[in-house]
Amino acid sequence: MSRWLVDGWQVVIGIETHVQIKSSQKLFSRALTSALNHPPNTRCNAFDAAFPGTLPRLNRKCLDLALRAALALDCSVNQCSSFDRKHYFYSDQPAGYQITQHYSPFAVNGRFTSPNIGFPIRIKQIQLEQDTAKSITNTRTRTALIDLNRAGTGLLEIVTEPDFRTPEQAAEYVRSLQELLRALGVSDGNMEAGSLRCDVNISINRPGEPPGTRCEVKNINSVKFMVAAIEYEIRRQQSILETPGSTQRVSQETRRFDPDSWRTIKMRSKEDAPDYRYMPDPNLGVLVLSEKHVEAVRRAMPPLPASTRLRLLRTYSSSGVTENNIDVLMNLDVVRDITYDGATDSVIGAVAYFELCAEGRDPKSVMNWIIHNFLGQLSALGKPFSSKYITVAQMGQLLDLIITKQMTRPSAKLLLKQMLVSPSDLAVKQLAENMDLLSTVDEHSKRSSIDDDSLRDVCMRSIDALPAEVAAIRAGKEKVINIVIGWIMRQTKGKADVDRAKDILKELLHQ
Amino acid sequence: MLRRFVSNAADSLREKDAPFNAFVSFENSLNFTNNGKGPLNEYSIGVKDNICTFGLPTTCASAMLQDFESPFDATVVKLLKKAGAQISGKTNCDEFGMGSLNIHSLHGPVLNPFRVDSRRAAGGSSGGSSAAVAAGLCDAALGTDTGGSIRLPASYCGVVGLKPSYGLVSRYGVVSYADSLDTVGVLAQDVERVEKVFECINKRDCNDPTSVDERLREKANFLATKSIQRWSGESLKGLRIGIPQEYFPAELTSSSNHILASIRHLLFHLHSLGASIVPVSLPSTAYALSAYYVIASAEGSSCLSRYDGIRYGLRVPPSPESNFTSTSRTYSLSRSQGFGREVKKRILLGTYALSADAFDNYFLQAQRVRKMVRDDFDHVFSIPNVLYSKFSFKEKNANDHGVDGVDILIHPSAIRTAPRLDDVLDVSCDRDTLQDYVQDVLTVPASLSGLPAMSVPMQPDTGLNQARDNQQSDENWPIGVSIVGQWGTDKLVLKVGRVIERLSRR
Repeated sequence: MSRWLVDGWQVVIGIETHVQIKSSQKLFSRALTSALNHPPNTRCNAFDAAFPGTLPRLNRKCLDLALRAALALDCSVNQCSSFDRKHYFYSDQPAGYQITQHYSPFAVNGRFTSPNIGFPIRIKQIQLEQDTAKSITNTRTRTALIDLNRAGTGLLEIVTEPDFRTPEQAAEYVRSLQELLRALGVSDGNMEAGSLRCDVNISINRPGEPPGTRCEVKNINSVKFMVAAIEYEIRRQQSILETPGSTQRVSQETRRFDPDSWRTIKMRSKEDAPDYRYMPDPNLGVLVLSEKHVEAVRRAMPPLPASTRLRLLRTYSSSGVTENNIDVLMNLDVVRDITYDGATDSVIGAVAYFELCAEGRDPKSVMNWIIHNFLGQLSALGKPFSSKYITVAQMGQLLDLIITKQMTRPSAKLLLKQMLVSPSDLAVKQLAENMDLLSTVDEHSKRSSIDDDSLRDVCMRSIDALPAEVAAIRAGKEKVINIVIGWIMRQTKGKADVDRAKDILKELLHQ
Repeated sequence: MLRRFVSNAADSLREKDAPFNAFVSFENSLNFTNNGKGPLNEYSIGVKDNICTFGLPTTCASAMLQDFESPFDATVVKLLKKAGAQISGKTNCDEFGMGSLNIHSLHGPVLNPFRVDSRRAAGGSSGGSSAAVAAGLCDAALGTDTGGSIRLPASYCGVVGLKPSYGLVSRYGVVSYADSLDTVGVLAQDVERVEKVFECINKRDCNDPTSVDERLREKANFLATKSIQRWSGESLKGLRIGIPQEYFPAELTSSSNHILASIRHLLFHLHSLGASIVPVSLPSTAYALSAYYVIASAEGSSCLSRYDGIRYGLRVPPSPESNFTSTSRTYSLSRSQGFGREVKKRILLGTYALSADAFDNYFLQAQRVRKMVRDDFDHVFSIPNVLYSKFSFKEKNANDHGVDGVDILIHPSAIRTAPRLDDVLDVSCDRDTLQDYVQDVLTVPASLSGLPAMSVPMQPDTGLNQARDNQQSDENWPIGVSIVGQWGTDKLVLKVGRVIERLSRR
């Protein structure tokens, strides 16, 4: 562990992560969950506003998503758990209490492993709880507005043991957790949008001595800020403990990170810590999770990123698909939209798209086509990956036209572009025909259709059309020939055979 | 023409109610949705003011909700309307159901209609519902019972009051005082009407997470039916009635001998009809009252924390010189003014019971006592508690011929008759307010255990104590007898209630 010491201090870090569950309805009410762009107070009902007479009703969808997270983090799921009320008066807490799982969380004793941390991080517990409302304070008018859209949305609180020793490990944990929860469909893990927030506990001590007094930095909403907050806390606590001749100690307190000054600022000390008066919620009773149900959730779990990666490597590396290729696709899947309630994707991710297209075709060329042409054109159009522009079936037809040499690659690119710009329900071959992109196959030679005579004709015209380029080629700049070839391809709508055109062109130029 | 008739009906009810103060608001429009075929057609029903109604205020008799109108009808109100009933208005109660005399109300105290000129309390907290029924202002009324709030006023006013098993009647739309104890029930002048209304609201509701599922309802109902089959007919042979010895405290035996005499008289009759009278012991009863007040106050402090003056209800705006250092200081302005004395007292007690230092000794201890109280009941009843036992029908059949356990329990509903309002409204320090709590001693065990309990008026035993002139008027005042059954055997409790009602009216 000595390699992690900072000026002879051992750093001890624990993280509590609050993750918004991606469910269509809230945790205990039937109101729809909200996005940031929904107008205030349009996604709440009488329960969310804590009207008298309303009662909570547990949304089983939230529970099942929470179970996915617990199983992926290797937790033991408690057959019986319960909900408690955490009391405090605040304007973002309509009922005067938050329903959480203080005494008996539904999952405990898990572990998180990442190749980049090198040792397992122990997960202490995972609990279900309600998110708060949002208050928007106007300091000038001294008023506060309350938006109940977020109030009562399901949250997962994932608590680690204080197992991290460096800010980098902490950052790696949060990033991997984010990726994991997205892959499971549990949360979109978007820190900017507030659907993933961290509280970080930090203390330092001399090796061999008992742990120091910890400070908690609350509500951090970016990995960058978290690393900065931890680094600042290490320096701050270090300077307190290293003050010569002083018996000063770090005092236990709650702090927040200020992104403007890049410092942590004291919110309250331990003495001011509120008494939350936890009480078992008398309405919700005991939450029973049968082994059968837990198993059903386990069977329906989407595969974890690490196992998908491994499977793809095993299946396709022999066909020449590289690790790099696979990572490109997997990264695309990481940022794709997460569906609500953990529903099986109706939208196909990049990995699935590739695998479906590669079925019965050469994986390497399918991969290359998708990565270099499809993704390339998408990014040129400023569009994210999606299977909705060109379906798997359409892409398959396109690939088959290339493979059977009914269409040249340049023609196929042209067609692809056209299909992206103006989508059509027509069969791909029909589209190609409409655009006159199909090669009229010479049944005997199986060669591309444009016969040598017409090709020679086009080549001669190119020499007239591009005198500067031709001069450059003649001067020995051979690469310029590609510009001329490009002109020829445009003229022939891609029907020309590139190699043959080059031969003819060279022949003409050296005459 | 019709409108005039309707508003006349409301005005006439208002006028009739004036001496009692049982109603706090009146329905001005007729319920046109009723198709004339419902089981409660032609029934007028008063609804306690802590049950939400769309279109009528729901004040909970608190300044905090003085102008509050709920955006929805409680499930029970919906069910009543569906059954054809006419909601005649909202009935007075103690603020948020906290109290046993209906004197802690924004709308003022309710007068007991039994003899209105003698100005006696109607009991609480469902005092308005009880008085409305006693005065004949409506056919039946909904009340809520957290620790005796239906049974006690029923006893004081001389009407029938049923607190059903916890979990049978939906609490959705019932303003929470203590979620684990609050139970909606029915008051009426006779058992038949109580039963009729109860049948309409005894429905599973998926909006109430504590609403018990059909399987358990059927199971308990099956056991109740089997028990009734053993003694149906004129003879009560086979009915085993338990008399819990702990339910005859010093307060009852010393000052109110006429209550004791009446219940002896009743038991004598029951015995002569063939019922077995079995003395039983519920040893944890002594602790039940303290446990009840800890749990009810703790839950009350929690349930009432939503009243902050932000989204609805009374708001006392801060003045420029107010202390703005924390949100809670702003809240305290509204809460200090919005809540009455009794409510504040219980919130403070409950807040303390939940504080980190007190939690183990108070709240957890009270939960332990609660379990002991429940175990006591399960121990004396022949019918198992379907909520907690891994009971199977086969086991029950094997025990059929055994004689261990009783079918129901009978005890006085209260330790006294309705007190004089002037005595209890005296807020001087002399009055021992602890007396109000001791009154609950007989009713809270059934609440803690969620058991069905019904108070039925007893025939006063006039043959005794004629000499004590100063007590004489007390002796003529109504007294109720409580019938308590195992969880889910409400049908059995109602059946025994009918027998006792018949005996008392002879």
